[in-house]
Amino acid sequence: MSPKIQRLLVWGLITAGILLAVFFGLRAAFAFREFRRHGPPPFAPMEVKNDQTAETDVELIRDWMTIPYIAKMYRVPPDVLLDALSLPRSKSIGEKSLKQLNDEYFPQAEGFVITTVKAAILEFQAQAFSTPTPPVIPTP
Amino acid sequence: MSDFLLTQIINYGAPVLGMIVFIGALGAPFPGTLIVVAAGAFARQGLLAWHTTGLIALVSVVLGDNLSYGMGHFAREAVLRRFQGSQNWAKAESTFARWGGMAVFWTRFLITGIAVPVNLIAGTSGFGIRRFFLYDLAGEAIWIFGYGGLGYLFGMQWEVVSELLGSVSGLALGLVLLGLGVWLGVRQWRIVEARKANVPEA
Repeated sequence: MSPKIQRLLVWGLITAGILLAVFFGLRAAFAFREFRRHGPPPFAPMEVKNDQTAETDVELIRDWMTIPYIAKMYRVPPDVLLDALSLPRSKSIGEKSLKQLNDEYFPQAEGFVITTVKAAILEFQAQAFSTPTPPVIPTP
Repeated sequence: MSDFLLTQIINYGAPVLGMIVFIGALGAPFPGTLIVVAAGAFARQGLLAWHTTGLIALVSVVLGDNLSYGMGHFAREAVLRRFQGSQNWAKAESTFARWGGMAVFWTRFLITGIAVPVNLIAGTSGFGIRRFFLYDLAGEAIWIFGYGGLGYLFGMQWEVVSELLGSVSGLALGLVLLGLGVWLGVRQWRIVEARKANVPEA
């Protein structure tokens, strides 16, 4: 290897190393701040098979998720979500991501599927988890 | 890409995960760490059984690594024809024989960006297959069960963990390249200085 190529290799490695270290170092610092903010969620008791407590934060819903997956995570019947989207029940729809459903059935309305799914979950959970108010006992 | 792969994992489970890590080990640019952390979260959610999924993923990735080691091994003849007798090649071989185990181990889960080149170099440089297999297995077990375990621990918030691990891996790669560049630079500088000292003054 000629000295010129060796010099180029050394400077190439140093430059690439610095660029990568700065870029990922900053990203790691931001990610670490986020990591510290989110503690791990509590586990369900050991006797409960699988941790299947209902998720309530709809901001965790992503475009890659499917209707059956979301239904399972948020403890909402899949039919509730499909009705909200006016989509038929079929296996192929269940295997498509929210993004695919949006592109296929609502191409003119970007983000329609994810917004509708979030709204349907919030509405369902508000009804399902609302605690009944105790009856008012008249005082003599 | 990662969105598509995640959808396929929640639809078809562990076999797809195994296929992804296997193809990734052969050099396809898949977001392996993100997928493994996500799979841990899916296991917590009851979508995947953690033990069989972990085992399938571990076997698949080790198989992929050993296959890419094999590719390097079969390319050895051609490489030797080109470099045999070269002092630099002999030095590179002895350096890899000494540090190769550590290189294989750390590139499985920390500096994952250069895992495939390390497999190929290991195969080409005649690094023993048994040693390669053992270091590979240990490193990949940490990747699958350690990173997957973090995904399991964080559940639906796995994206935070994945972002942190991905960034730390990139940072480690940057530091390794920087260190290598500085080391080569210093070595070169020393050779030049030694040459200068040996040249008699006119």
